[in-house]
Amino acid sequence: MSDFGFEEEEFTTDFSGQTLWRILGLARPHWRWVLGFLFTIAVVSAVDSILTFITAKIIDDAILANDREALIRWVTLYAGLIFVSAAGVFGFIYLAGILGERIRYDMRRSLFNHLQELSLSYFDRTPVGWIISRVTSDTDRVAELVTWGLLDVTWGILNILTAMIFMVIINWRLALIVFAFLPVIVISAVKFHKRILTEFRLVRKINSKITGAFNESVTGVRVTKALGREEENLREFGGLTSDMFKAGYRAAWLSALFLPVVQLVSSFAIGAVVWFGGLEVLTGAMTIGGIQAFVSYILFMLWPIQEMARVYAEMQRALASGERVFSLMDSVPEISDKPDAFDPGSILGDIKFDHVDFHYKADSPILRDFSLSVERGETIALVGPTGGGKSTIVNLLARFYEPTGGVITIGGEDYTHFSLQAIHSRLGMVLQTPHLFSGTIRDNIRYGYLEADQSEVEQAAKIAGAHDFVVAMEEGYESEVGEGGVLLSVGQKQLISLARAVLADPEIFIMDEATSSVDTLTESLIQRGIEAMMTDRTSFIIAHRLSTIKRADRILVIREGQIAEMGSHLELLRLRGHYYRLYTQQFRRQLEKQYGVFGAPKPTPA
Amino acid sequence: MTELGTDFDLQETLADRRIVGLWRLMRGFRLIFLVATLSIGGAALARAGTYLLLGFYVDQVLVAEDAGRLLPWVALAFLALALAQGGATFLSGRLAAKTAEGIAKRTREYLFDHLQRLHFRYHDKARTGELVQRSTSDVDAIRRFFSDQALGASRIVLLLVVNLAVLINLNLRLALLSVVVVPITVAMSFFLFRRISEAYEAYQEQEATLSNRLQENLSGVRVVKAFARQEYERSKFDVENWEKFTRGRRVLRLHSVYWPLSDILSSFQLLFGLTIGALMAMDGTITIGAYITYAGMIFWIIWPIRNLGRLVVQMSAGLVSYGRVAEIIREQEEPLRLGEYEPTGPPAGEVTFEGVEFEYEAGSPVLRQIDLHVRPGQVIALLGPTGSGKSSLVNLLPRFYEYTGGSLKLDGVELNTYPRSYLRRHIGIVEQEPFLFSRTIRENIAYGAKHEVSQEQIEAAARAAAIHDVILTFSDGYDTLVGERGVTLSGGQKQRIAIARTLLADPQILILDDSTSSVDPETEVLIREALERLMQNRTSFVIAHRIQSLMGADLILVLDRGRVVQRGTHEELLEEGGLYLQIHDAQTRIEVELGKEIAGV
Repeated sequence: MSDFGFEEEEFTTDFSGQTLWRILGLARPHWRWVLGFLFTIAVVSAVDSILTFITAKIIDDAILANDREALIRWVTLYAGLIFVSAAGVFGFIYLAGILGERIRYDMRRSLFNHLQELSLSYFDRTPVGWIISRVTSDTDRVAELVTWGLLDVTWGILNILTAMIFMVIINWRLALIVFAFLPVIVISAVKFHKRILTEFRLVRKINSKITGAFNESVTGVRVTKALGREEENLREFGGLTSDMFKAGYRAAWLSALFLPVVQLVSSFAIGAVVWFGGLEVLTGAMTIGGIQAFVSYILFMLWPIQEMARVYAEMQRALASGERVFSLMDSVPEISDKPDAFDPGSILGDIKFDHVDFHYKADSPILRDFSLSVERGETIALVGPTGGGKSTIVNLLARFYEPTGGVITIGGEDYTHFSLQAIHSRLGMVLQTPHLFSGTIRDNIRYGYLEADQSEVEQAAKIAGAHDFVVAMEEGYESEVGEGGVLLSVGQKQLISLARAVLADPEIFIMDEATSSVDTLTESLIQRGIEAMMTDRTSFIIAHRLSTIKRADRILVIREGQIAEMGSHLELLRLRGHYYRLYTQQFRRQLEKQYGVFGAPKPTPA
Repeated sequence: MTELGTDFDLQETLADRRIVGLWRLMRGFRLIFLVATLSIGGAALARAGTYLLLGFYVDQVLVAEDAGRLLPWVALAFLALALAQGGATFLSGRLAAKTAEGIAKRTREYLFDHLQRLHFRYHDKARTGELVQRSTSDVDAIRRFFSDQALGASRIVLLLVVNLAVLINLNLRLALLSVVVVPITVAMSFFLFRRISEAYEAYQEQEATLSNRLQENLSGVRVVKAFARQEYERSKFDVENWEKFTRGRRVLRLHSVYWPLSDILSSFQLLFGLTIGALMAMDGTITIGAYITYAGMIFWIIWPIRNLGRLVVQMSAGLVSYGRVAEIIREQEEPLRLGEYEPTGPPAGEVTFEGVEFEYEAGSPVLRQIDLHVRPGQVIALLGPTGSGKSSLVNLLPRFYEYTGGSLKLDGVELNTYPRSYLRRHIGIVEQEPFLFSRTIRENIAYGAKHEVSQEQIEAAARAAAIHDVILTFSDGYDTLVGERGVTLSGGQKQRIAIARTLLADPQILILDDSTSSVDPETEVLIREALERLMQNRTSFVIAHRIQSLMGADLILVLDRGRVVQRGTHEELLEEGGLYLQIHDAQTRIEVELGKEIAGV
C-alpha cells in the first residue's frame, strides 16, 4: 500500500554532474558487463545501418544492374548479419538487464546494511514510508539510468553516427543538407519531452492527493455517515478529479503530439532529399538506391532521437532519486562506537545518571539535570504522565540516545566508552507494543539468542509463561505469527516477547509495560514472567500495573523531565501527591477489570 | 451533480463478461474512441501513401522530361502526407486520452461516492488498503487499457491490414509471401509473453516481500537494536534481495530469448520478401518504384506485430483490474434520502422501542425484545458487559444498521420511514477514540456543520469542549494540521475536538461513548464537564463504563446478552439488586479496598 502522507518530492532543477558521476560509479564493480552491453549495442546499431545500406545496394547493384550474382552476394551478407544482430540483441538485453538487477541488489543491500547502523533518532524523525521509497522506487530509477538509460543513449548516438557516416558515403552534399535539420529535430525533441515530464509530474502529485483522499474517506467513513457529509465530500473530491482530468489529459495529448511534431520536422528533411536528391539522380551523381537509403536513414533516426529525448528528460528524475539515495547512504549514525571503544565483558554494576540533560530539539529539553543512582540488582519502577520523560530515561540507558549533557556511568565507567555491541548484547527489552517478526513462534523467541536449541526455547517460554498457550496451538512452536504478529493476541505477543528477553538472559532488563488490556489469566502469566526477569538483574520498568509498581525497590514519579517523587510505595502514598493520585486512579481501573465489572475487556488491536 | 459525471450509475454497466462491462463503461465515449481508432487507420494510410509516392517518384518523376519542375511539388506532397499522418496520429492520441481520462474520472468519482454510501456491514468487513488500491491503481490500469493498450493493439492490427491491402494491390503473390511468418510471430509472442508476464509477476511479488521485510525491520528497529541483531537482519534481508535478483534474471532470460528469436524470424521474412521482390523487379513483374514502395511498407507489417503479444497480455491485466473494480461497484449503497416521512424541523427527540430485535447474521440475535420509552431531553444510560448489545442498540438510531424485528419510533413515527440523511443530521455521535481528518483543527471542528460557521462559533464550541486553550498552544492555532503532517493529538484531545464538532452540528439526539480510560485524572474532569454541557436539552444515550458517571441519568438500562435485564434510576436499581447491584458493589468494594490500602499507610 502506498504510504499516504508521503508526497512526490520536488526535483532540483540544476544538473548535478557529481551525482551523475556517482551513479555511474555504481556500475564500476561490474565494468565487464558494462563493456559487454556497450559493445553489443554498438554492434547492433552498426549492423542496423549496414542493413539499410545493403537494401540500397540491392536496388542499385542487383535490380538496376540486373545482376543476379550481386543479388545473391548481398542477400547472403544480409542473412549473415541477421545472426550477428540477433546475437547482439541477446547480448545487450541480457547484459544490461542483469547489470540493472545487480545494481538494484547492490544498492538495496548497502542501504539496508547502512540502515542497521543508523541511530534511533534517525528513525524517529524519518517516516518509514520515506525510507521504503528510497530503497525501492528510487533505487529502481537509478538502476534504470545506469542500464537502459545508458544503453539508449549509446544506441541512439551510435545509430545516428553510423547513419551519418553512410549518408556521407552515399552522397556528402545531400548528407550536409540533412545534417542541417538534425539539430532542429534533436532540440525540439528534448524541449518537448521536458515539457511533457513537467506535466506528468503534476499528474503524479494530484494522484497522490487522490490516493490520500480515498484513504481518508474509507478510514473516516463512519464519521462521514454520522455527520451526513457525503455530498460535501464528493464535491471536494470532484475538484481533485477535475484537476486530475485536466492534468492527465493535457499530459497525454502533449505526449501524443510529440511524435507527429518530430516526424513533421523530419519530413522537411525527406522533402529536401527528394528534391535535391532527385536533381542529383538526374545528373547521375546519385542512385535511386541512394535516395531510398536516405529516406530510410532519416525515418529510422527518429527512434533514437525520441529515445534519447526521453532519457534526457528522465535523467533529472533519476538524478533526484540518486541524490535521495545517496543522502540516505551518507547519513551518519549519531551514536557510534568511539575509536577506542571496548567490551568490558559485563555491564553488571551500579548505574548512575549524573546531571544528565537531554533534548531532541535544542529548544525543548526533555530531561534537565537528571541524576539517579541505581544499585546493581535493584528494580526501578518509572511512573508518571505520558510525555514526562519515562521512555527517554530507558532509551538513554539502552544507549539508543546519548545524553546531551552530563554522563551515564555503568560500574563507574562512562558508558560511551563501551562499544554499542557490548551494551546491546547484554540488554533485555520488552516494549509496550511488542514487535514480532513474521516467522514462527520459535524464530521469534530465538531472536533473543540465535543459537538456542528447542529445549532452551521451551525453557524460556516456560519461565515467561508462554509455553502453555504455545503448545495448545495446532503447530506449537512452529506456528506462524503473521506479519508483525497479527495472528496472535496482544497478550500472547507480550508473552512471546518476554520469552525472547528471558532467552537473551540479559544483565539489564528494561520493560515498558503495555497499557492495553489483556485477560486476567494472561495478565497473571505476564506478571510471573516479569517477576522471574526482575530477580538477579538491574531492572527498569515503565510500570502501569499495581503489582509491578508495588514490587519495585524504588518508584520514581517522572514529570516534566524531572523526578517529582521518589521512594517506596508506602512512602509515596504517604506524601499524598502525584503518586497518590496516579495510584488511586490506577487502582480503580484495575480492580474494575479484575472484578469483571463490565465483563471481558474489549480486545485491543495492536 | 451532473457536472461531476456521477449522473450515470456504473452499476448499470456491470455484466457477466468483463469485456462487456468495459464496453458499457465506455458509454458516452464510444464515438470519440471510434474516431480515435479510425484516425490510426488514417495515419497508416498516409504512411502507405508516403511509400507509394516514393515509388511514383522513382518510376515516373525521375524519368520525366520536366523532372526538375516536378521535384518541388513531389517534395511538397511528401510534406503534405507527413502532415496528414502526423495530424491523424495526434488526433487518435488526443481522442484516446480524452476517452481514457474521462472514463477514469467518472470511475474515480463514482467509486468515491459509492464507498461512502455503502452499508456499514460492508465497511465492517472491508480492508482499507485494498479498497484504496482498487480505487487508485486498478482504475489507473483501466485508464491505460483504453489509452495505451486497446489503441496500441488496434494500431498494430490496422498497420497490418492497411499495408497488406496496399501490397496486395501491388502484387498479390509478393504480398502473401511477405507475411508467411506473421502467424508464427504472433503465436510465439502470445506464448512467450504469457510466460514473461508470469515471471514478471513473480518478480513483483518478490519486490513486495522485500519491502515487507524492510518495513518490518524498520518498525522493529528498537527490537533489532536492543538485541544487537543487525547481522542477523542483514543476512535475512540478503536472502530475499538475492531471490529478487534471481527472479529478475529469469524475466531477463525470457526477454533475451524472445527478442533475438523474433528478430531472426522477422529479419528473414524481410530478407525473403526483399529477395523475391528484387527478382520480380529484375524480370519486370514489378517496377523498381513498386519495389521501393514494397521495401518501405513491409517493415511496418513485420516489426510492430512482435508487440501484439505483449499488448494482449497487458490487456488481460487490465481486465483483471476491471474485475476488481466491478466487485466494489456491485455492492449496494444505502439510500440516504429514501424515506416517506421527512419533517422540516428537527425532531422533538421522543424515542420508543417496542420489541425491537436485531441480528448481524441470521440466527444469532444481538438485541432481543427491547422495549423502551424515552421522552425528549432525557438521558438514558446503557450499562453492561462487552458484547451485551449497548453499541448495537445505539447504532440503530441513525439507521447505521436496520432493526430486524419489532418497532422503533421517533416522535411516534416508525424510524425506517425517515430518510437516513434526516436522522443523521439530527443525531450526533461522540466516540471513544474519534476519527479526525488530516485537515486543520478548524476544518475538523466545522466538519459536520450544515452551514457556514464563523471563527467565533468555532471558538465558542472549542471553549465549551474545553479544548480552546490547548489549540492555542499549537504554533498555528486553529490552522494546525491534524495527523502525520501536523500535530499528533492525544486520545483525550481528539475526544474534545469531536465534542466541539458535535456541538457545532447541534443535533437533537446524542449518542455518547463515555469512556475516559486512557486519560489522566485532570483531563478526565475536563471531558466530563464538556460532555455535560453537550448533553443539555438533548435526548442523550450514554454508553457508560462506571456507575458514578451514570448516577444522574433519567433512566439506566442494564443490558446482558442482548436483553434489557434491569431498568430504572440509580436508586431504584440499587433497591432491586441483580446485575446492577453486583456492578455497584464491585465498585464500592474497590473504593473500600482503596480506602483500606491508603489507611494502612
